[in-house]
Amino acid sequence: MVAGFGDLTILHDVSLDVAVGKVTVLLGANGAGKTTLFRAITGLLPPRAGRIALFGEPIAGRAPHLIARAGIGHVPSGRELFPRMPVGVHLDLGARLCPPELRATLRERVLGLFPEIAERLNQYAGTLSGGEQQMVAIARALMTNPRVLLLDEPSAGLAPKVVLSVFQALAKLQDQGMSVLLAEQSMTFGLSVASRAYIIREGRIVLSGTPAELAAERSVVQAYLGA
Amino acid sequence: MNLDARQLGQWIERRLSAAPASAAVPGRRPVTVVILVALIACAGAVPLLTSAYVMQLATDILTFAALAYSWNIISGCAGYLSFGQVSFFGIGAYATSVLVLRSGLPWYLAAPIASAFSGVVAALLGTVMLRLRGIMFALGMLGLARILVVVASDWDYIGAAGGLTLPAQLTPVAVYVAMWVTVIAAFALNYFVLQSGWGLSVTGVRDDEVAASAIGVPTARIKTVAFIMSALAPAAVGGLVAWNRSFLDPPSAFDPTLDLQVIVFALFGGIGTLWGPALGTVILVLVGEQFWAYLPDLQLALYGVLVIAVVLAFPGGIVGIANRFGWLRRRPVLAPAAFPVVSRPPHPAPPGNEIIIEVRDLTVRFGGLVALNGVSLAVRRGEMVSIIGANGAGKTTLFNAITGFVKPSAGGVFYQGKSVSDIPSYERARQGIARTFQIPRLMDSITVWENTLLAARYGKRADAAVDQAAWALHTVKLDGLWLEPTTKLSPGQQRRLEMARALALDPTVILLDEVMAGMTRNEQDEIRAVLRHFREFGVAAVAGVEHVISAIADISDRMIVLDRGGKIAEGVPEAVLRDPLVIESYLGKVS
Amino acid sequence: MIVLQLVVNGVLLGGTYILLAQGLNLVFGVMGIVNLAHGAIITLAGLFTYWFATQTHQSPLLLIPAVFIAMLAIGAVLQRLLLEPLAKLGGKGELLNLMVTFGLSYVIVETALNFFGSQYVSLPDLQTTWPVGGLAFNEALVAAGAFGALISGCLHIWLHYTASGQALLATSQNPTGAVTCGIDVRRMRGIAFALGTALAATAGVLLILILPLSAPTADTLTILSFVIVALGGLGDYRGAVMAALLLGLVQSAVGYYLGGDVEVVVPYLLLITFMVVRPQGLGQATR
Repeated sequence: MVAGFGDLTILHDVSLDVAVGKVTVLLGANGAGKTTLFRAITGLLPPRAGRIALFGEPIAGRAPHLIARAGIGHVPSGRELFPRMPVGVHLDLGARLCPPELRATLRERVLGLFPEIAERLNQYAGTLSGGEQQMVAIARALMTNPRVLLLDEPSAGLAPKVVLSVFQALAKLQDQGMSVLLAEQSMTFGLSVASRAYIIREGRIVLSGTPAELAAERSVVQAYLGA
Repeated sequence: MNLDARQLGQWIERRLSAAPASAAVPGRRPVTVVILVALIACAGAVPLLTSAYVMQLATDILTFAALAYSWNIISGCAGYLSFGQVSFFGIGAYATSVLVLRSGLPWYLAAPIASAFSGVVAALLGTVMLRLRGIMFALGMLGLARILVVVASDWDYIGAAGGLTLPAQLTPVAVYVAMWVTVIAAFALNYFVLQSGWGLSVTGVRDDEVAASAIGVPTARIKTVAFIMSALAPAAVGGLVAWNRSFLDPPSAFDPTLDLQVIVFALFGGIGTLWGPALGTVILVLVGEQFWAYLPDLQLALYGVLVIAVVLAFPGGIVGIANRFGWLRRRPVLAPAAFPVVSRPPHPAPPGNEIIIEVRDLTVRFGGLVALNGVSLAVRRGEMVSIIGANGAGKTTLFNAITGFVKPSAGGVFYQGKSVSDIPSYERARQGIARTFQIPRLMDSITVWENTLLAARYGKRADAAVDQAAWALHTVKLDGLWLEPTTKLSPGQQRRLEMARALALDPTVILLDEVMAGMTRNEQDEIRAVLRHFREFGVAAVAGVEHVISAIADISDRMIVLDRGGKIAEGVPEAVLRDPLVIESYLGKVS
Repeated sequence: MIVLQLVVNGVLLGGTYILLAQGLNLVFGVMGIVNLAHGAIITLAGLFTYWFATQTHQSPLLLIPAVFIAMLAIGAVLQRLLLEPLAKLGGKGELLNLMVTFGLSYVIVETALNFFGSQYVSLPDLQTTWPVGGLAFNEALVAAGAFGALISGCLHIWLHYTASGQALLATSQNPTGAVTCGIDVRRMRGIAFALGTALAATAGVLLILILPLSAPTADTLTILSFVIVALGGLGDYRGAVMAALLLGLVQSAVGYYLGGDVEVVVPYLLLITFMVVRPQGLGQATR
């Protein structure tokens, strides 16, 4: 998948690839352009120029719900759950995009990934803890049977212990061969699961490489902090 | 006149390009004003010389123009959409009638007294109703009119449901002249709201109430005054109409269709504009006069259609269309012919380095969430302090507590040694605590110049305010764009305009929330240049920064680090940035 | 006994009010706008029913399915033509939305005035009173209350237990979240307004059996519905049911003890009172 944008006010000529079956991480500070990029890919904020392709098929400019139907699963920042609807219904709503014959298996797999929410299927999403809400958001996106999963800062506002369990689930997802694009502020967490990382700053990709390459370089920290 | 479409297109393009890009309009020449007044005077004299029919038509136009202008103040200029201004019409009608019938006052005294009474009622109502926004206010006013119908129907003193019969006392000429006086008064109020320094506050309330109070606008008071202004003329009109009809009962006094007509006229002409209500009323009443003869019963339904059509097709009304051709533009308030020459600050920087802001053990809780936990800090005059911390660390909450937008759960904020706990945010701004917002909050319907002038106005004479605003804009290097609308500014320019607005308050300290967020390298440099100047003016800066730390570190005297609501480090930037606690807070444990 | 009778009347009246309010609530929930033409649609449907019943001497209840379906279509068209163009403005369009529906309400009311006149009318059908254990059950009130409960029940089941209903409810609770599930939010807005219009019209058909209606009652009904929706928490469907019952009880008590004049202003007084007590807004649910 190639995403290229030209002449956006917040993003400038951003290009990145997400490899099939791998976790690609997009590291950057608040305001660096991560969420804008995600909104561009998912059609919530159509890019002014450039190309976004999903397995070679151009999707830029389509309505956001059609992009979701094309196979981009989106876990938005802020989770965007339905506060007064039960967790189980969140999964059902996601499953609208999944072929009926796959739904049961998929549901089983998703609940296996997040045993915490399996016990809370009848509870309103608004009454869950932050970590559980994040898991519901991911589970809802997974239930759409996506070809690629976009995760926007799943660690935001969570205690480190909770973040850890979310990232453990991510690692399992990677083992299952899911293609993931992850936006993250925390380098430690981000690099821990990724097979490739991009660092975005002021709407530009300033560095990219494997986690090992990036961790070895002091310039990464500087690029990240804006030095 | 046989222009083809292409020629017409070219003509329009020429008009558009001939119109100045900015709202820059030179002051109206006295000759134009004289001609305008003469024209209106002639038009006003015509009905006196012709038939009774023309007189009645002219009186109708004036009646609706007065009502439309009044509605325009609260709903157009202040942004509080009212569907119940007829309440004031009815109150005025009853007050006038009672004064004449029971107290024997002559009508020319009764009408102004009723008008003043209506203003008092508006002042009382305003304290409750204006706390509501949008739909709540709109429906609250609609409901008010309905309650008044019921009250009037049950109140024997004012004739109850049977109504009052009023002796025919007024000649058509007297009504006509009195209506002229009312319209001119209502127009004058509109002119004052749209073209005076004080009126900028009303626009500020409409565009962004939070930002307005952050630059010293007492929003509650401004709204109430606008509400009172919009209640005066309808009451006088109500009194005159009642006498003209010689009869008054609750349904005719509080007729809700009156509001529909008034809204149609104002909307058609252009809401919130000086000439819109007059143009809309004159055109629609005259056109309607020809039209309704054929469709006598569908008048109000067609007005309904017209409201929908105008909102969907040209929400700016006639004036909005005219503006695109450079006509009928609003003149920027108190704008000199050219940008004033600025050589030095309006006053020398006060000496000394005493503590100006002190925060003691400040704790802010939202429900169960602790946003700030026992934070203490002090800022001295002319100091540059940066407060760094990740998203959610409590920076914005700290700024909100200092400026009075959030109430602390414990602890206090002291400004120049005195607690400011009981002082509302606009007053803190006036005393010298200025701020900017994470996402710039500008008044989008007025120019760069007026945004700045609005902040500079408090406690100064007009010429001093102009000097202060000019200096502030010059300092942030926006003098070249002073007459542009704020919507034409780039993100960096918008941020600098917010800084100019803060400087225009003549502050001792400016709190800058996420001052570098989303800025390009060039924009960061421009902001740094402005921040460097603050010390010369004796202005302390407290800059909240999340990530772009290097852009702020070398110009900061001191750095404070917040993490999850608590202060974890404080000191000179070099030391703070090496602190392991700080590094861990930012990057997680580096293994 | 009289207290019990008032409670019965109040609950039955409340059942009707649920019907009045749910349409407005649905539109507000999904589109974030208050439809000021709501009362006008109710009134128009009521007057049409009166005309139909007096012309054909058929039971007005027969009209319900036809009115419901016709108004679904009309609602969908109105939404597409008048409101969808403003949807892209988001919060900035609030005042424009209000003005458009305000204009629409006048178009409907004035048209109704021309066709049906301005006199108050009500249908003499279903005026029997059933005595049950010393209490009187007015047939019309029971019918309206029962229909109110039935339609609310259907709505509840649809919203919570069917795929299409869940999609609508999801959109009203979080449009962005709905998009990530591939839900076409634009289509949901159309459905919400169509359904809101159809529910309002159905309420009108039933209301003419209980209350005398005339074109000018439109605003009163809009405000009444809005008060219920606001008391229940804007966009909260269960809250609205509680609020409708509460209002029914209060009005039935006030009507008995203080007289019809005061009964009429109860909604306005509640509106203004709650504004004073909770100036930040009436409901708990915020959007």
